[in-house]
Amino acid sequence: MTGNTQSRREFLGRCGWIAAAGAVGGLTIASVRYMRPDVLYEPPKEYKIGTIDDYPEGVDFISDKRIFIVREQNSIRALSGVCTHLGCTVQWIEERNRWECPCHGSVFNDKGAVDKGPARNPLPWFDVNLTQDGILLVDERKIVSYTKSLTVKT
Amino acid sequence: MQGKIMKSGLKDILVHNPIRESIVRAEIHPSEWIKSKVLGLGMLNAFLFIVLTLTGILLMFYYVPGTEKAYRSVKDIEEVVSFGIIIRNMHRWSAELMIVSVFLHFSRVFYMAEYRKPREFNWVIGLLMFVCVLAMGDTGYLLPWDQKSYWGMTIMSNVISSMPVVGDQLKYLVLGGTEVGQNVLSRAYNMHVKILPLVLGILIGIHFWRIRQDDRLAGSSPAETTPSSESSTGRYDVQTIQSIGWLDISKRELSKCLLVLAIVMGASLLFNAPLEEIATPSVTPNPAKAPWFFLELQEMLSWGPTFFWAVVLPGLVFLFLLMIPYIDRGAIGTGVWFHPSRRVENILFTAFAVILMGLIVVGKFMRGPAWVFYWPWEAWPIP
Repeated sequence: MTGNTQSRREFLGRCGWIAAAGAVGGLTIASVRYMRPDVLYEPPKEYKIGTIDDYPEGVDFISDKRIFIVREQNSIRALSGVCTHLGCTVQWIEERNRWECPCHGSVFNDKGAVDKGPARNPLPWFDVNLTQDGILLVDERKIVSYTKSLTVKT
Repeated sequence: MQGKIMKSGLKDILVHNPIRESIVRAEIHPSEWIKSKVLGLGMLNAFLFIVLTLTGILLMFYYVPGTEKAYRSVKDIEEVVSFGIIIRNMHRWSAELMIVSVFLHFSRVFYMAEYRKPREFNWVIGLLMFVCVLAMGDTGYLLPWDQKSYWGMTIMSNVISSMPVVGDQLKYLVLGGTEVGQNVLSRAYNMHVKILPLVLGILIGIHFWRIRQDDRLAGSSPAETTPSSESSTGRYDVQTIQSIGWLDISKRELSKCLLVLAIVMGASLLFNAPLEEIATPSVTPNPAKAPWFFLELQEMLSWGPTFFWAVVLPGLVFLFLLMIPYIDRGAIGTGVWFHPSRRVENILFTAFAVILMGLIVVGKFMRGPAWVFYWPWEAWPIP
């Protein structure tokens, strides 16, 4: 009889430990998962940037989107202005024909490729398209090669 | 007879701490005990923690942790709240002083080899506290939501994402999104004002408790290993100890605190805590510099692969520091400044400290636009 009582006590004790581990473990996992948001209220990655007439020949910066618009005659391209090293906004240096990063000194040439580190990846070019009503549409989710550009009739 | 009762009563209160027992046995005068505490930097750090807690609570009455209002509320604290600027300055300067004095405390313990058995674990606790202090500095400078905050956080989040495999997921978790915005501000705020102070408070408690326990285990301490011939002759009677003993210790400690408070207040009256322009995602200041205590990391970041220079190397250095008491099993020279038998160790540690400070100085004074090297007296080109 004593043995039975003892084993029931042990059984209940074990149940208690399992329940405690489950509760603490489950809540820990839930809390970590809780910290990872499922809905973001960030600006969309696809957006309109006006018409080609808004962009004169050369390099233009859209500050609230942190992208550069490069126009050469009728062709238009969009380049990310976010340094691939650690995310500072690069600056277009007209006289040296290149982008420079103020934080750690990375340099990108006019094709977005790395001329000088610490950055190791080139600045990405984004897909530019035209909506039906003739507005330029940039999609940051689509990264394209430098050779691809949108040609617009003017 | 009465003296004897008093004596044993006191002895119980003091929990058999050998040094304190020696005080009770009237072998060591309290002032000698206090001298054995060397520089009092640990106590100073605890005091700064209290100052930071109190000024931090005051700041929280006006500060709003929202991207729209954070910067404005800090400006309000500086410009329209009575004495607000003094409180903010005190918070900032005591935080920076704490980083310095924590580092000095750490150096002092190394140079005296006091991390050795039985104090290994307390050395580990101490280093964890150092990390906590740096994490509080880090989350703290995000809160004003000025340019330094914004770009500091941007760089930090990309350092995190440079880690292989888990990098991007971890960055998402830290930022609470893909961009530096409201979620990361809320996260930094809650870490800074709740979680980290709680963790640091608990670690301070363990650190203090271990000092006592370890003194007991060691059965000796700096004062006892180098006793002056006079102090062991019992020239102080119990009456003297009772009248001046703990009162004397308390007064000495409190007056040191008062001195430090005066220095912090003086600095707060003379110098304002830095506050840059409001956070502007489209404009990166050139050069964009981290606060001085992270400049050594930023300087190393400019050298090459982010993951190596900002995560692997500092991580290895930290691991090595953690392991020092488990590597150095010697016993000679414990509790002695710069003991000759520890020349190599002391030279290595000094080199480490000098390199660290050198990197900070280079980052602070010799890096111009685009992180190009300039001598301090050279003018930067105007873009």
